[in-house]
Amino acid sequence: MTKLVQWLCGLALLGTAWATLALDPLGLHLPLPCQQVLWPFPVYLLVAFGCYSLATIGYRLATFNDCEAAARSFRSRSERGLVQPLRRTGQVTHGAGCTSGAGTPW
Amino acid sequence: MPGVTLVLHLLLSSPQGRATAMDQLVGFGLVAFSLLLFVYYTIWIIILPFIDSDHGIHKFFLPREYSVTIPVIAGLLLVLFVGVFIVIVMWKNRKPAKKSD
Repeated sequence: MTKLVQWLCGLALLGTAWATLALDPLGLHLPLPCQQVLWPFPVYLLVAFGCYSLATIGYRLATFNDCEAAARSFRSRSERGLVQPLRRTGQVTHGAGCTSGAGTPW
Repeated sequence: MPGVTLVLHLLLSSPQGRATAMDQLVGFGLVAFSLLLFVYYTIWIIILPFIDSDHGIHKFFLPREYSVTIPVIAGLLLVLFVGVFIVIVMWKNRKPAKKSD
């Protein structure tokens, strides 16, 4: 089963649960505050996901480890023709690097 | 507060390997804005129905219909802007037709 099918099954399950409670085909007659919370719930989940995405982007932007000294050094070395192209080992020879901070987990 | 400590730690740690000040400002501004939006929207959708309608807190929130229409319109506007952006970029990058002799 592909990831897409898994996600679609999960969404279909949640959608069915929401429709059963909100459209009330079983005649459960939930109390009014619960109904009022339930109706906009899919929109609420979308907005919550949007807020999470925005916060993640902002946090990663703020904690991105720029290495200004290494960038300047690399730029000047490449302008002088001292930077060699990537070899098979995948190593780029250039001068000062900077210790990258905690690697991004995703 | 732990949030303030975290921000200070990030701003003052490791002089090498930090985001620029503008990046940090914009980044943490985005975090604060999305947190505020989430808290407001959560109170609006989840908490308010359980509070009596004569409580003073209701005057800080719009009528309930707007809690659905505003995100839907915002989402449509977002799709519109993304579509217009794609059209503009593709229009700029179109190759001119060859002239035949």
